[in-house]
Amino acid sequence: MPLRPRDFSEIGPKEGERFPDVRLADQCGTIVDVHEARAGRKALVVFYRSAEW
Amino acid sequence: MLPRLRAERVALFAISYDAVEVLRQFAAERGIDFPLLSDTGSAVIRQLGLLNERVHDDHGAYGVAPNPRHLGVPYPGAFLLDERGVITHKRFHTSYRERETGVGLVAHVLGVTASGSGPAAEWKADGISIRASLDSPTYCWFQRLRLDLTIALADRFHIHGRPAAEGCVPLSLLVAPLEGVEVGEVQWPEPRRLADPETPDECWVHHGTVRASLPLTFTAPAGGGDRIVQVAVTYQPHDHSTSLGPSTVRLELAVKEVALVGRTLPSRT
Repeated sequence: MPLRPRDFSEIGPKEGERFPDVRLADQCGTIVDVHEARAGRKALVVFYRSAEW
Repeated sequence: MLPRLRAERVALFAISYDAVEVLRQFAAERGIDFPLLSDTGSAVIRQLGLLNERVHDDHGAYGVAPNPRHLGVPYPGAFLLDERGVITHKRFHTSYRERETGVGLVAHVLGVTASGSGPAAEWKADGISIRASLDSPTYCWFQRLRLDLTIALADRFHIHGRPAAEGCVPLSLLVAPLEGVEVGEVQWPEPRRLADPETPDECWVHHGTVRASLPLTFTAPAGGGDRIVQVAVTYQPHDHSTSLGPSTVRLELAVKEVALVGRTLPSRT
């Protein structure tokens, strides 16, 4: 049974918008601010299900 | 992929709802040195509107029983940000299980062809060469690979595109049916109209270097083993004002199965 498609252009931050400010702990427990950490470079921000399953 | 990202000066971040300790172990096991961000409780995932609220519906499609750990997952995908932090590309998937290879995603968003790591096969004749490749040498369950096709034509040749004039065979790319593999639609470039006073019909042709791709999604459960992707490219060349007969070139690409992270492949008897 095929899944119903979703319009991802309307889900989440949109192309042309500034990526929101995100501050989360990394794998070392250090708080990382994404915009600060990319330091003026391009960035690829990947959302994935889980590192465990 | 990572050396390519570093060369292009692209910072990489990955976000999931896993706890810091889970990520620490995962990074250590896999030798990951870019930030894996811990969104425990999925606050950021929710705030950004990326919470997958239809996981249970999807489970019905996959025959998977609901499980509390399934709640809080995001839709899988990625954002590419430019130097100002503005989103320039966004790739997300309908299913929480489908995901492109890292190389495939990066290649797409950076507009580059990621060559070298996946299997490739080439065929050459006088005035034409055809190359097919996959963006990964391996696949795992529910991974989506990209099949790339490059046709290079000498100046004296065009090949028929769509819509094809009467009696002409348009360029086509067919992948032989593979159990457990969903073959997506080919994305062709726009053909050009051929101005030929001797031809009363409209004639749409490709010339120079023609690039196309299609997605292959490996949906069958793990244990499928190594696979051979069989590709057939049919083309009809147009040499000056003459259409030559159509030809079909067959190429094979071998891809190996690997286990999902943290799993082993089922033993095969």
